[in-house]
Amino acid sequence: MVLFPPPTVVAAAVLEWIRSGQFFSDLLASLFRVTTGFIIGGALGILLGVLTGQFPVISSLLSPLFHILRPIPPIAFVPIVILWFGLSEAGKLFLVVWGVFFTVWLSTHIGVQKVDRGLIRAALMLGTPRRQMLQEIVLLGALPYIVVGLRTAVSISFYTLVAAELAGAFAGIVYRIEIAQQNLQTGQVMGGLAALGLMSFIADRLFAALAERIVWWR
Amino acid sequence: MKLALASSPASVESARKQPAIQVSNLSIVFDTKRGQMIAVDRVSFDVAPGEFVCIAGPSGCGKSTVLNTIAGLEVPFEGEILVEGAPVYSPRPDVGMVFQQPHLFPWKSVRSNIAHGPRMLGKSKTEAYAIADDLIAMVGLKRFADAYPNTLSGGMQQRVAIARALANQPRVLLMDEPFGALDAQTRAVMQDNLLALRDRIKATIVFVTHDIDEAIVLADRVLIMSAGPGRILREVAVKLPRPRSSSVMVEPAYLSLKKDCLDVIRAEGLRAFNQSDAD
Repeated sequence: MVLFPPPTVVAAAVLEWIRSGQFFSDLLASLFRVTTGFIIGGALGILLGVLTGQFPVISSLLSPLFHILRPIPPIAFVPIVILWFGLSEAGKLFLVVWGVFFTVWLSTHIGVQKVDRGLIRAALMLGTPRRQMLQEIVLLGALPYIVVGLRTAVSISFYTLVAAELAGAFAGIVYRIEIAQQNLQTGQVMGGLAALGLMSFIADRLFAALAERIVWWR
Repeated sequence: MKLALASSPASVESARKQPAIQVSNLSIVFDTKRGQMIAVDRVSFDVAPGEFVCIAGPSGCGKSTVLNTIAGLEVPFEGEILVEGAPVYSPRPDVGMVFQQPHLFPWKSVRSNIAHGPRMLGKSKTEAYAIADDLIAMVGLKRFADAYPNTLSGGMQQRVAIARALANQPRVLLMDEPFGALDAQTRAVMQDNLLALRDRIKATIVFVTHDIDEAIVLADRVLIMSAGPGRILREVAVKLPRPRSSSVMVEPAYLSLKKDCLDVIRAEGLRAFNQSDAD
């Protein structure tokens, strides 16, 4: 019963979770962390990816640093994040931003470098100035890669959410799983896992549908 | 007023004399793993304003490199290149280029691909679109103005690329084997299209091809190049009447011109073969 609760127990736990109102505050807290972290990390990743992809000087300054930091799993930062940020919301966002940033940065960097040289030459022959070259040719040429990076980052933002909410939170889906585990409420743990999986799945589907529209010419 | 009167006959005179393109002693050397490779060896030629010149030669003879250099896309080089009297260092909007691949911007519709150049030169969107619509009509793609490039056939894409290159009203149009990737039937149609188009635009055209038939059908003058290193072997004036179409290929005058060209190419091929044997 405790290790493998039957579906009825899980369902009852989930119903109670929803009825108490805690589910929605947990959901909101987690969604806030994931979306805010995703937007900040994604924006930074695209910005720096364009810079390092386009300008060799900036790339030789930053890329080595990013490549050293990139493989460190965000969960390994939990102790230092607690030291730096305490139990504040900023620390949790930091972890999600960290996870999202490197994925988006790398795919943007590669995307910018893989823009068809022929398109650049054609644009040069038509008198395209530097700024328009970046906006209308390079950025759009890299867009399919950027979108793939962002989609990968959607799942990653949920992985890092786990690390973030284990680093001492007061609400959130993963926080609820943690509390339920300490109280041996295995039904609630299972319900929490299902909720987390469902959230991540819906987010991925939504982003996939959005991606079709972002790359409009395909 | 006096100044204008005094200077205008002279400037008309110099404009008449000045070639549209002057290439003098152009040499291009590439660094390769096996050391330096001379791609183009002291090539010189002039192109008169409004003239249609074809550069023909085998692949690897440096003909595309010569064209890219005139476009300002290939640096560094030795020698001098003047376009409309001014030296070339970088791409300039009065020189248009059509590449072997259409290189259309996939995220822009046909209309906005063609309008790109005028917009970059500071024209308003309305003006640029008006220019684009005229050119779309000229290349016969009215039905496809709002289509994206990936929905067009190879021939249609290349027509868009030609229209796009013409949108800035270039004085000089450079074409790098633009029909090389098309099937034989489409290519013949495109050649006829280009001949008809050429009568309506005033641009000087330099057209690179490895197809000697294509060169003779299109050009006023054919420059035959040889490979290793790239040099100009022979200049052949094509005095076939205009307006011309690809049906000129069965005329006796055409056939004798073609024989002249093939003789030059065959002699060079033999020489190159014997030389490589001696190495």
